[in-house]
Amino acid sequence: MIESLASLLMVTVVLVLGPYVVAVLDRLVATPTGAMAGDVWLGPLSRAAWLLTQQANATEAPDWQAWRLSPALYLALAAVGLAVVPWSPTLIATDLVTSVVLWGSVEALATVVIFLQGWSANAVLPLIGAYRYVALGLSYILISMFVLIGVALPAESLQWTQVVTAQESLWNVIRQPLGLPLFLVVGLGLTFWGPLNLADSTDLAGGTSAEVSGPSRLAWELARAVMLVAFSAIAATAFLGGWLGPWLPGPVWVLLKTLAVLALLLWLGHRLPRVAPERCVTLMWVVLLPLSFVDLIWAGVLALWA
Amino acid sequence: MEHSIAVDIAFLLLAVLAVVAGWRVFRTDSMVRASFFLLVSFIAVGAIMILLAAEYLGVAMFFMMAVEMMVMALFMVMFMMNPAGLNPMMMVHQHRLSIVAGGVAFVILAAMALFSSFPADPLPAGLDPVHSLGEEMLGDSMLIFESAGIVLLATMIGVVVLSSHRGRYGAAEEGSMPPGLEPGGDPAGQPEDDESGGGHAHHHHH
Repeated sequence: MIESLASLLMVTVVLVLGPYVVAVLDRLVATPTGAMAGDVWLGPLSRAAWLLTQQANATEAPDWQAWRLSPALYLALAAVGLAVVPWSPTLIATDLVTSVVLWGSVEALATVVIFLQGWSANAVLPLIGAYRYVALGLSYILISMFVLIGVALPAESLQWTQVVTAQESLWNVIRQPLGLPLFLVVGLGLTFWGPLNLADSTDLAGGTSAEVSGPSRLAWELARAVMLVAFSAIAATAFLGGWLGPWLPGPVWVLLKTLAVLALLLWLGHRLPRVAPERCVTLMWVVLLPLSFVDLIWAGVLALWA
Repeated sequence: MEHSIAVDIAFLLLAVLAVVAGWRVFRTDSMVRASFFLLVSFIAVGAIMILLAAEYLGVAMFFMMAVEMMVMALFMVMFMMNPAGLNPMMMVHQHRLSIVAGGVAFVILAAMALFSSFPADPLPAGLDPVHSLGEEMLGDSMLIFESAGIVLLATMIGVVVLSSHRGRYGAAEEGSMPPGLEPGGDPAGQPEDDESGGGHAHHHHH
């Protein structure tokens, strides 16, 4: 009882503090490139406060329910993702036996929610952003699926706690060297961050959120940031051994590894070049998807051999 | 089997959500909305399956239906005469037949639920639903499932190939033009022809 309450508290704390950590880390990572001006620590807060006081934009005849719900639904999906992250063998909000598949469903449902955000505004540029994400999102989901099956193979289970336990001898980041790089690409895609920000990109004047302002815009940006944190926690669980580690207690290790993945993702977001959407689809299907097959075969052969 | 009152409450709420969302599918006026109401309905059913200890099938319902409804909405917008994104359209047809068919199906299903005696088999103690499902599907029945899967995939690709050359305003190889606003009129929604008026065919290629 205490543990389940504690794990729910962890999820809530990450939901509240996660976006701030993302914003601060992003500014710290971006400072050497000079891409972001302003105070590192207060900047995110003042931007949030500014968004809160802005007027909420309205378009002509939008689907109001879907438009207002989609940021909340995206945030809820991120919360579901956080709920399956094991902080220790017992400190976990939902230890479902199919929690790896549940994370896969979060990625799939995110496609629907991002599409709704763009579609329901009833405006051209958001709609293009929405269709763009669907076209790209399917390839992210496929890559992610093969990588996740590869992670589940040595564990012989679809449960994140088992996936971590199976890494006691060797972390998956070494056992399946292709897995983490591919999964990081999925993470940037899922949160349309950095080079893979093609749904909300500047060439579409903000894409799916081009017409969104004020509190809804804040909610959307918070949801994206929390999804990035949830993704980092899942990546740390899948490839970096989750709670495993010497000296420190398990939850601290999960936190440190999550922050490491998060910083890496944000750094990649600033350093990698942006790809045009059409070339991105080609890259996904022609290069990365076959690589994910190789990763899966690698994992399968290792699992048979072991 | 012993279960808490919370399970009963969750079941009732999810069942109501599934039925109401399913009803909204037919009352809404847009293909996209209809697809996503159907998705909500399926998600509620998936959650009920998890309550029934079908943990893999329930979660599989989430991601399968998410992708499936998304792709379905996309294909309907691509291929329908009037995709009705945010423009309203009538989503139902053949009213009388549908009402009769729906009524008959409801009576049969309700009668089955009320009059058949369901077995009260408790779950075996050491049941591992994922493992037993895997044994069932990939043990003796693997060949059947795999061949059915490949046949379905080939059918889907075939259908898209056969139908995709036919655009909204005619076949692709003939060049498609929207119909006129009046019978026999000029194609609607075309940009104004420039003054040359020589009928250079390449002006119409976009």
